Amino acid sequence: MADSTATVPDTGDDEDSLKRSITGAQLFFYTLGDVLGSGIYVLIGLVAAAVGGAFWIAFAAGVTVAAITGSAYAELVTKYPQAAGSSLYVQKAFGNKALTFLVTVSFLSASFAASGSLATGFASYFSQLFDGGGPPALIVSLVFVAVLVLINFIGITESVVMNMLMTFIELTGLVIVMIIGIWYIAEGNADFGTLTDISVSGNPALAVLAGVALSFFAMTGFENTANVAEETIDPYRSFPRSLIGGMVVAGVVYVLVSMAAALTVPVDTLAESDVALLEVVKQGILPFSTDLMTTIFTVIALVAITNTTLVTLVTQPRILYGMAREDVVPGVFARVHATRRSPWVGLLFSGLVVGTLLVTGYAVTAAGGGIDLVNRLALVTVVFLLVIYALVIATCLKLRGQDEDERAFRANTPLLVLGLVGNLAILYYAVYDDPASLLWCAGLLAVGVVLYLLEQLFGGRSAPRPGTASQTPKGDL
Amino acid sequence: MHVIVATDGSKQSLAAAKHLKSFADPTKITEISVVAVVRPLASVAFADDVSENRLDGSFRDAAQSAVDTIAGVFEGWGPKVSKRIRSGSAANEIIKAAKQYDAGLVVVAAGGRGLSDAVLVGSTAQRVQHYAPCPVLVVRPAPRKRK
Repeated sequence: MADSTATVPDTGDDEDSLKRSITGAQLFFYTLGDVLGSGIYVLIGLVAAAVGGAFWIAFAAGVTVAAITGSAYAELVTKYPQAAGSSLYVQKAFGNKALTFLVTVSFLSASFAASGSLATGFASYFSQLFDGGGPPALIVSLVFVAVLVLINFIGITESVVMNMLMTFIELTGLVIVMIIGIWYIAEGNADFGTLTDISVSGNPALAVLAGVALSFFAMTGFENTANVAEETIDPYRSFPRSLIGGMVVAGVVYVLVSMAAALTVPVDTLAESDVALLEVVKQGILPFSTDLMTTIFTVIALVAITNTTLVTLVTQPRILYGMAREDVVPGVFARVHATRRSPWVGLLFSGLVVGTLLVTGYAVTAAGGGIDLVNRLALVTVVFLLVIYALVIATCLKLRGQDEDERAFRANTPLLVLGLVGNLAILYYAVYDDPASLLWCAGLLAVGVVLYLLEQLFGGRSAPRPGTASQTPKGDL
Repeated sequence: MHVIVATDGSKQSLAAAKHLKSFADPTKITEISVVAVVRPLASVAFADDVSENRLDGSFRDAAQSAVDTIAGVFEGWGPKVSKRIRSGSAANEIIKAAKQYDAGLVVVAAGGRGLSDAVLVGSTAQRVQHYAPCPVLVVRPAPRKRK
C-alpha cells in the first residue's frame, strides 16, 4: 500500500478537512424548491378570490417584500454563518430569552400550521388521482406526515440530488401552466382586460393588500435556507446570490403563473377551487388528453408539496434542537437517536403536533364547526411570520456595525426600510382585515408563555453552562 | 498504513476508536485520519455526544469538538493524527476519503440492533462495508444481556 503521508498536510485545517458540500447552484435550487410549491399550488385560489383578475399584482408586491426580507436574512447569515435561523438572530440582537422563546414558539406554530395546510393540500391533490374520490383525505394527510417523519428519522433527507430533482419536477409543473397561458394567448383567446380587473367591493388598494398578505405566505419557506448556510462553499459570495436570486426567480415564476391562471380560467372558478392550479390544466387548452395532463400535473403538484413539507419537517426539529442547546426549550429536544443520529424527540413532537392539528381540524369540520381549522391557522400564523420577518429586518439594522467583516454581504439599507414598512403594512392589513386573528395569535402566544414559565420553573439545566461562546476556547483550528 | 476513523459524534464511534487502539499495532500505522461528516440537509447536521466540553455553537463546531475528542484517544499512541471534517452524505464521504487518502483500513461504528437494522435501509456502516476500497472494521455494540 502506498504511503501517502508525505502528501497530506499535518494540520487539521487543510482544504479538504474543511470540505463543504453545497454549491451555489445547489443552494439556488434549494431556495427555489423551498419557496415554490408551498404556496402557489394551495393558495392561488384564495388570492384570486381576494383580489380578482389582477391578483398577479398582489403576487408581484408580496414577492418583492419577501425578497427584501430575504436580503436581511442573507446579511445576517453571512455575518453569523451558523444554523439556527431567526431565533438565533433575535437572541443575538436583543439577548432576551423570553423574546427568543416567543419568537421560537411563533415560528414553530407558523411552521406547524403550514405543514398542516400543506398536508391537506397534498390530500386534496391526491384525491384527484381517483375518480371515486380515493381514500379519505384525513387518512391521506396523516399517512403523508407520518411517512415524511419516518424519512426524516431514517435520514435520507440528506440527499442534495433528490432535492434538486424534486425542484426540477416542481418547476416543470409551473412551466406547463405558463405554456398553457402562452398557447392561449397565441390562439388569440386571451382577454387582457382580466389582468387589470379588481373585482372586489370596497377599496382596490385594500384588496391588493389582502392579496399581498396571502401571496406573501406563498413566498415563505426561504428562511429555511439559512439552515444550510454553514455548509455552503464560499458562503459569503454564494449565499446572498443564491438566496435572493432564488427568491427573485420564484417571484417571476409566480407572477407569470398567476397571469396565466387569470387569463385561462374564470376568476370565480379559481376562487372556488381547492386546487386552483389544476383548473388551468383542466381547461383543455393544450392539444393533449385532459385526463392525461391532469394526472401528470397532479403528480407534479404532489411532488412539489412533498418537497416543501419535507423541508418544513426538517426545520422544526432542527430549531427545537438548536433552542434546546441554547437552553431556551426543554433539553429533551436536543436528544439524538443513538444510531440514526436524528433528533427523534423533536421529530416525533413535530409529527404529533401536525397530526393532532389535522385530526382536530377534521373533527371541527365534521362537527359542523363551520371553519377549516387547518387553513385558518395557516393564515392566522402569517401574522406571526410577518412579525418575525419585521423583527429580523430590525435585527439586521440593529446589528449593523457589530461583527462586521469585509466579506459579509450588506443589504441595501433603504430597501430594508422599505421591506420593514412593507411587512408592517401587510401586518396591519392582516390584522385590520381579520381582527379575530389577533385572538388566535394571543391564544397561541398564551400557550407559548405558559410553556416558557414551565420551562423556567422545571426545565433548569442540570450542568452549569460554560462561558459564552466567544470565551470558549476553540479547537486547534 | 493510513487508517480512517469515522465519527458521527456518537458514543459508539468513540468506542470504535478505542477498540482500534486496543488491538492494533501503532508501528504499522503511519497515519490516522479522524473524519466527521456534517450532513447539511438533515434535521440535525451533526450531534456531538462524546465531548466533555460541548460548544453551544454551530454544527461545524460540534463536528470539530467530536473530531478533537476522538483524536484525543490516539494522542501519544504513535501515528500521526489528522482531523478532517467533510460535508455531505456520511457513507459517500467516508468512502471518498478512503480513496483520497489511499486508506488501508476504515473504522466505523454500527449501532443498529435487531429489527431496526433490517428494516431501516441505508445504514452508513453497511454502505461503507459494501463500497469501501479497503478493509473495513465495523465495531458493533456489546450484545444486550439476556435474562
